[in-house]
Amino acid sequence: MIVHARRWSVIVAALAGAAVACKKAPPPPPPEAPPAAVPLSVSSVTLGKAVGADKSVAQALTTFGTRDTIYASVATVGSASSATIAAVWTFQTGQVVLADTQAIAPTGPAHTEFHISKPSGWPVGKYKVSISLDGALAGAQDFEVKR
Amino acid sequence: MTTPDDPMPDFSDVQGGSSSSAPPPATQTYTVKAGDSLSKIAKQLYGDANAWRKIFQANTDKIKNPDLIHPGQVLTIPPA
Repeated sequence: MIVHARRWSVIVAALAGAAVACKKAPPPPPPEAPPAAVPLSVSSVTLGKAVGADKSVAQALTTFGTRDTIYASVATVGSASSATIAAVWTFQTGQVVLADTQAIAPTGPAHTEFHISKPSGWPVGKYKVSISLDGALAGAQDFEVKR
Repeated sequence: MTTPDDPMPDFSDVQGGSSSSAPPPATQTYTVKAGDSLSKIAKQLYGDANAWRKIFQANTDKIKNPDLIHPGQVLTIPPA
């Protein structure tokens, strides 16, 4: 009788082992979805007298001389297949000094520079550059021209 | 040089430009500025004023008369 019970227990254990062995391996986790594209936006507007090869300003300034070329470097994050950055430079009276646009298709962080110069010299006073992205105001920076 | 007392200084000789570390889109756009003409834009963007017809043909939905474009118009600029 004891032998019989042991035999049954062996059979049960073997079946349990077989069941474990037959259990399917868990399915591999689904591949990670690609990160969602970050929409393009303006992160900063920096003024200076020069830009580097990456179009960023090394030394930020808000005061310029009458003979300076003035650069506005617009830092953007995100991506877009096509976007238009516009810069409108205005004098303290609201008079438009110059308006310019640049079409870009960034795939990540980028810098876009706009620059203005005036061979006859800038009138002293306060100025502003307003930056828009696809027609929507995205940033602005005030600056002053002094003798 | 204009003095700060001048309420409306002359900015007609202001020169400007732009560039980007980002690549340009397959098709660019250009916003018409005062004093622009199609040939002037073609000269600026393609280096060839005679390429104005290419810009005109890409914008026939916006431009009826190639001699008449308006500041603020956004033109499609096909690849060179």
